[in-house]
Amino acid sequence: MSTLHNNQGQSHLARAERGIAGMQVTRREEGVQEFQTFYQENLSLIYRYVFSKVGNREEAEDLTSQIFIKAIRGIDTERGPQSMQKWLFQVARATIADYWRVYYRVSVNSLEELLEAGWEGPAEEEPAAISSRPLERVQRILRALPEHYREVLTCRFLLNLSIKDTALRLSLTEANVKVLQFRALKRAAELEPITTGAL
Amino acid sequence: MSGEDQERFEDYLELEQYIEQLQAGRVAHPPAELTPSQANIYRMAALFRSASPEASEPRPEFAADLQARLEQELQQRPRPVPQPQPAQRKKEQKKLHYVSRRALLTGGAAVAASLVVGAGIEHAVEQASTAKTVNDPYAGHLIAAGVPTTWHFVTTLSELGDSAVRFATDTVVGYVILNDGDENSKDKGKIVAISAACTHMGCLVQWQDSDRKYHCPCHGGLFGEYGNIDSRSPIPYIRPLPRFNTKVVDGKIYVEVPLKSAAPTTQDWK
Repeated sequence: MSTLHNNQGQSHLARAERGIAGMQVTRREEGVQEFQTFYQENLSLIYRYVFSKVGNREEAEDLTSQIFIKAIRGIDTERGPQSMQKWLFQVARATIADYWRVYYRVSVNSLEELLEAGWEGPAEEEPAAISSRPLERVQRILRALPEHYREVLTCRFLLNLSIKDTALRLSLTEANVKVLQFRALKRAAELEPITTGAL
Repeated sequence: MSGEDQERFEDYLELEQYIEQLQAGRVAHPPAELTPSQANIYRMAALFRSASPEASEPRPEFAADLQARLEQELQQRPRPVPQPQPAQRKKEQKKLHYVSRRALLTGGAAVAASLVVGAGIEHAVEQASTAKTVNDPYAGHLIAAGVPTTWHFVTTLSELGDSAVRFATDTVVGYVILNDGDENSKDKGKIVAISAACTHMGCLVQWQDSDRKYHCPCHGGLFGEYGNIDSRSPIPYIRPLPRFNTKVVDGKIYVEVPLKSAAPTTQDWK
């Protein structure tokens, strides 16, 4: 008896599904095209944003994929590119917030402190954060730093010099460079909200 | 902010190790248990690293691969998320509920499966979870029958404390928690596995030990220990977090999750 019920149910539903599927075919093709444009416009943006959070290519690629895949499953292709981008950014922020929490394994208390301090959490990040190029943010921060801090960070990051080469170039000991870069990044973190105008 | 007097020699070394890893193009993570001000230093290092010459643009191969994957995903999507006509959607939902319920009652869920063929896992999960009985808000199968599943090992009974333990597979992210019987004493000692996808918009909820709740990062939704909607949740209209089946073998906790690719069978689609 139960089989009979199931079969009846299935044919009803199969018909309903067929109807919907027919209507969706052209819609879906349009959707694919729109999506390609959308993808090309946003891939670098998302990738650079993610890279600026993780600092390495492998994870940047991995998380970028995750973000797009998650986003596409819930994306509304009919609402136009702006709304789609907003959704993509939302997914990106949530994914990054998730990533940091997994890898930092900060104790709960300090996580809360982090969030209070306006750190990358569930709290609303200003929408411009993703669209603004990380490179520009870095340069704004560099300009705002005292010269010795700017020099050490330029050597280590922009020029990609080793600790040894940096020490040679700046006439410091390697130990000095280690202290200096630590303090430079600390100062940079303090300066960031000021240079970006947020908060 | 915090004074430089708190810096330790090890802090400089740890940071240097992190920077060296990044310079070498390797995956690197900051040390655990950082203070907020320390965490910000590492955050800056990652940001500065992204300004290095090698970091700027995604590799073309990567861009092409991802595009292909996404197009495939898009093809498999049964229908755009916004439903074309509200009236039709309503009708469809009604039917769906009726059938899922029956499928549950009869124990065979072939019908429920046919509903979600071609749908992404989220759709499958979402639709199946609408089938629930009045008495138990968590009842109903999270994964529709017909969707291939696998048993995913999460942790062991001895390691599972009173906090929720997060797990992630290719298809789902969730938490496992030991029911301590505070909601219903007859459930005491059971293992509860819930999906971390918020029932509002699918953002991943986060367990917080401090208030023993899951927090949704997107809109601040709150769920209790076992996935119930918290009374203080600012989003009132969400359903409880759906559950996965669990089993314990030799003290090891397994969760039944959908297999990697729930490939649609196109014949049901035509």
